[in-house]
Amino acid sequence: MDETPVLELKGITKRFPGIVANDHVDFTLGRNEVHALLGENGAGKSTLMNVLYGLYQPDEGEIYVKGERVKISSPKDAIDLGIGMVHQHFMLIPVMTVAENIVLANEPKQAGVLLDYTAARRRVEDLSRTFSFAIDPGARIDSLTVGQQQRVEILKALYRHADILILDEPTAVLTPQESQELFETLRTLVREGLSIIFISHKLNEVLDIADRITVLRRGRRIETIPRAGATQSGLARLMVGREVLLRVEKKPAEPGEPLLVVEDLTVKNDRGLEAVRGVSLEVRAGEIVGIAGVDGNGQSELIDGVTALQGLESGRVIVAGRDVTRSSTRQVISAGLGHIPEDRHLRGLVLDFTLAENLALEDYREPPDSRFGWLFPRRLIARARTLIREFDVRGGGPSTRAAALSGGNQQKVVIAREVHRDPRVLLAAQPTRGLDIGAVEFVHRRLVEERDEGRAVLLISLELEEILSLSDRILVMYEGEIVAEYGPDVSEEELGLAMTGGVREEVVA
Amino acid sequence: MNARAETRFGNGWVRFGQPRSIGMLGIGLGLLAFWLALPPLATRTVLWPIFVGILAVGAGIAATSRGAGRVGWGAIAAGLAGIAFGALATRSSLGHLNTVVVWSALLASTLRYATPLTFAAIGGMFSERSGVVNIGLEGDMLMGSFFGIYGADITGSWFLGLLIAILSGMLLALIHAFFCINLRADQIVIGTAINFLALGVTGYLFVSHYGANGAPTSIPVIPDITFNWLQNVYFIGPIFGGLNLMIWLSFLLVILSYIVMFRTPIGLRIRSVGEHPRAADTVGISVYATRYAGVVTSGGLAAMGGAYLSLGFVHTFDQNITGGRGFIALAALIFGKWRPFGAFAACLLFGFSSALGDRLPDYFSQGSSVPVIFNALPYVLTLIAVAGVVGRSIPPAAIGRPYVKQ
Amino acid sequence: MSDLSGETPEAPEPTPEGTIPSVAARLALYQRAGGFIVPLITTVFAFFIGGLVVLVVTHKNPISTYKAIFNGTGLNWFFPWISHSERVTAAFNLQATLILTTALILTGLAVAFAFRCGLFNIGGQGQYNLGAIVAVLVASSWTGMPGVPHILLSIVLGALAGALLAGFAGLLKATVGAHEVITTIMLNWIVFWLAGYLFGIGGPAQSSTQASVPVSNEIAPNTHLHVFWGNPILQGLHIGFFIAIGALVAYWIILNRTTLGFEVRAVGFNPEAARYAGISVAKNYFLAMAIAGVCAGLAGAIDVLGWKFRVGVDDVQGSSIGFIGIAVALLGRNTAVGVFFSALLFGALVNGTSTRNLDPNIFQPELASNLTLMIQGLVLLFVGADVIVIYFWRTRGKLAFWRRSEPAG
Repeated sequence: MDETPVLELKGITKRFPGIVANDHVDFTLGRNEVHALLGENGAGKSTLMNVLYGLYQPDEGEIYVKGERVKISSPKDAIDLGIGMVHQHFMLIPVMTVAENIVLANEPKQAGVLLDYTAARRRVEDLSRTFSFAIDPGARIDSLTVGQQQRVEILKALYRHADILILDEPTAVLTPQESQELFETLRTLVREGLSIIFISHKLNEVLDIADRITVLRRGRRIETIPRAGATQSGLARLMVGREVLLRVEKKPAEPGEPLLVVEDLTVKNDRGLEAVRGVSLEVRAGEIVGIAGVDGNGQSELIDGVTALQGLESGRVIVAGRDVTRSSTRQVISAGLGHIPEDRHLRGLVLDFTLAENLALEDYREPPDSRFGWLFPRRLIARARTLIREFDVRGGGPSTRAAALSGGNQQKVVIAREVHRDPRVLLAAQPTRGLDIGAVEFVHRRLVEERDEGRAVLLISLELEEILSLSDRILVMYEGEIVAEYGPDVSEEELGLAMTGGVREEVVA
Repeated sequence: MNARAETRFGNGWVRFGQPRSIGMLGIGLGLLAFWLALPPLATRTVLWPIFVGILAVGAGIAATSRGAGRVGWGAIAAGLAGIAFGALATRSSLGHLNTVVVWSALLASTLRYATPLTFAAIGGMFSERSGVVNIGLEGDMLMGSFFGIYGADITGSWFLGLLIAILSGMLLALIHAFFCINLRADQIVIGTAINFLALGVTGYLFVSHYGANGAPTSIPVIPDITFNWLQNVYFIGPIFGGLNLMIWLSFLLVILSYIVMFRTPIGLRIRSVGEHPRAADTVGISVYATRYAGVVTSGGLAAMGGAYLSLGFVHTFDQNITGGRGFIALAALIFGKWRPFGAFAACLLFGFSSALGDRLPDYFSQGSSVPVIFNALPYVLTLIAVAGVVGRSIPPAAIGRPYVKQ
Repeated sequence: MSDLSGETPEAPEPTPEGTIPSVAARLALYQRAGGFIVPLITTVFAFFIGGLVVLVVTHKNPISTYKAIFNGTGLNWFFPWISHSERVTAAFNLQATLILTTALILTGLAVAFAFRCGLFNIGGQGQYNLGAIVAVLVASSWTGMPGVPHILLSIVLGALAGALLAGFAGLLKATVGAHEVITTIMLNWIVFWLAGYLFGIGGPAQSSTQASVPVSNEIAPNTHLHVFWGNPILQGLHIGFFIAIGALVAYWIILNRTTLGFEVRAVGFNPEAARYAGISVAKNYFLAMAIAGVCAGLAGAIDVLGWKFRVGVDDVQGSSIGFIGIAVALLGRNTAVGVFFSALLFGALVNGTSTRNLDPNIFQPELASNLTLMIQGLVLLFVGADVIVIYFWRTRGKLAFWRRSEPAG
């Protein structure tokens, strides 16, 4: 490693109303170094990098690039300085091609006014060859896999001659194999002269790729340590400030009768293609079944089909002995299915409703909440008070708007609503996305409690650690089919292989 | 808005048939519409061909929007032809030559009615492709109509009048842009506000300047371009021989807008802002500036359409002269999938229905109020188009959502 | 961080970009913030700008213009210090204002109820017109029918007509996702020309007694709504006013005390979450529009039975009461109380600028009606920009804080 740091951040402070996202943070990046920025959700990692990339303006602090003091007021400035960023949620336009996305705002011109599409193609091809990516410049982004899209994002940065590359949670959407490929790519890039900042909350990956690790907690830099000598538990303690339970403790499962039976289910997605192809599975009382898979292999459509949010092409769904194949969502819910949806803001809560109203979102039609269409608000409030206490929801009371609560508490409200109806089957889709460790612990513990009370829990998650930690049985979904089934002791590698189609067996679980 | 192939309503699912067969059905219906007026059925009332013809057009639209393009357009054409021919046939014998003459006049009339829509629709494309819904196109058009007349009146030149009109549309659109982009207000509410403002302002100025007498009759108007060598060419002559300058400009505009939007860097950037503004922001494109440009352009273009309406077509102004055309243009844009040529084709369709609605009353006796109902034809058609097309037609992904710059 | 550890709670999560805030959700921000003050500020501001326009364009004194308008509204009837003769004129004017307010309450509710479900009902005008058309047709036929049932039938059928028209747009939205703004505007125009056909010279419903005037038949004498204040011959205030007040109460009850209202509000705020909880979004779109249509159709029917007594082509084609309802609803923040005061304001404005009341020497009535349109547009503009008004309202208390935390250089 060279002596002069290629990048230095000194005393960066960024405030938002009510919170200090970055509190006098120092950070240095050495030449040809892979430096990991570690912290849990909300620790300030993304904010810091957004400041570096010009998306935010710091309230205090200085930035030095290659020894010179600079002011970065917009992404354009950052790009000019050689800083490139690969965001967690890709900044790619799905309906446009690879070439169009890469050359956007730096387009090669023909006759001064027209866009030179041939030149653009050529440049993209040259770039891909240099770094051995195999990307078709004319392909539409929405036809690429997530791993390929990420490569396009990297190419975007390279096209603009970046020598500092920031990657924000890049492995969140990748299989273990793809993550390994990414790390290989990163090592190649470093050999070609780049310096890399790698944001993550995944301890094992950070230990794999990073040369140095900086831990942030609640906006402050806690420590910067070299990889040598760092351990997962040590890092976790730095991240959270206390001892952290890395795996949930649970009794072995005692499964009973099947409460959720799915037979040969076929569901089409928005574009009319089959997203779920003849899936059969069953979840028994007292067990947690986890479905692992890369995003976009039919998991969302599976849930939509089971909950009747979308029509089925064929197949049957049986909840607690009742055939709900032709039923409406409301009927499926009353048959005994609870659903913790994927996106609590978009699908789980009505943010402008009070907690009482949100908690009543499935009960309002029946007594005691209402009778013959007449609503009794006081009953809603009374129930809300009970549930808020039981689930330790903080940040407000029954008449507080849901939007005022923190993410963890909002998720608690969703869980409270679904669980208090005493469902036989509980469907949990990405239940801990965007939550801090404390809330994640709560959700995991709660799911295990529900299992122990005899419910059938179906967990769908993109976080392999979560699946491995919670599930009694693990199913792998690939291209709309269940391709493998494992016990809880399966290795990540084997799971990863199955997730990318390495195993091809029709499995009836 | 969902782009689902089926929708839930109650406990049943509304399923739609195969697109191709719907289209074929539409063509059949169109032919039926005409045939109804002929022997042996020879219905004397024109309402039957119209009714069946509208069904044909509806089937055609449903077919087009579900992928069976060619068959669908065929059905639409058949439906309209069925209406026209059926109407004519109920009047019994007309000479072959007369039919031809009627057709060419009808097509020329179509172009005249379509042109205001074309300008507004293309303008709408620039705004919506950059991500801002512009419901205020109607108001922009109205401003153009009034200030075109007013400007030509006080300057004595139609050219200056046109410029003033364009300026007025751009200014009104600037208000829309400011409130929607900077203040992040709801774009539909603001667009509606713009329409009210335009109505009030133009009405106010019209009454206070021209009072009870209405607009003066001697205003310099936008000239027609006559091609003498073309005038006598069979069929083509009467259509293209003497079209207004603005109509030719509209053709040019359609072509130019295609090139700009899909073949230049500017167009790529506009589209990127409308699809994924944050992605565009992260590569250094100014989302605000691009959207401002899009909205102001749409105002100027819609005003051009309005100026043509008053200065080039009817040669006068009256309060609320645009009569909902801005909304029809918007529907044409959606129908044309936010692409210039598609929108233009849709404008021609709507223009044809207006032209038809204009000529059909000639075939009715005096003192009947039936002809009045033909004025509703373009609106009915728009309704069918919007009902049949939306949900299939995918707008720019980020449209309607204010962009929050952090 | 973690709430379990009892430490400082996290800041509330910002709504991610992926969520599309529906119109109802954005207006919800309004309804909570500022209550009465913000609409007041908005109105004052709109009038202020309107006055500027008057000044700049016509060089007339806006104060005297507004004063002249105010005198025509009859609102001075509430002032105890005016003279007796002034009070008589004021009473007369106030009755006229309240007649307009009656209609505006209902057309305002038509827009407000749809808004609560996340729908923008611009079709109030068409629904109003259709209600009027149906009511006049029913009330002028079957003249042998006794009064009260005849009145009820006319009103119910008129309201139903409005419901069907609006419900159709709602159905289109529910099934194929057709944008209600465009469909309702198209329906407006279709009704517009329908009236021209029905009541035009030679039209099927044109008056049988006056062949040269494009109007309908007069409604039967026993279908006139009873006038409870003022002189019936001079058109006093009829009992339709109470129907409007009743509608306001029903509006509040439905939204806040029924399961239907619960669903409507849920769909209005977040259709996806409602769907996930089992609520039928399509059904609620349809019902919300249908109920909205009932209100507007009711307005049309009541106006016919209350003071118009017949419908002419010009009445339909020149009417704008449905459109004013949009401004009424938005200014009133889609709440029952808000709609009442807002309707009162606009009723006063329209009455005060009418030919009957405005002295042409001070301000021409045709100009004044356009001024009203401009003020409506301005109101909508500022109401739509909730961000700026509420921003100023909130920062007035925080200015000190903001100044302190300014970054150094």
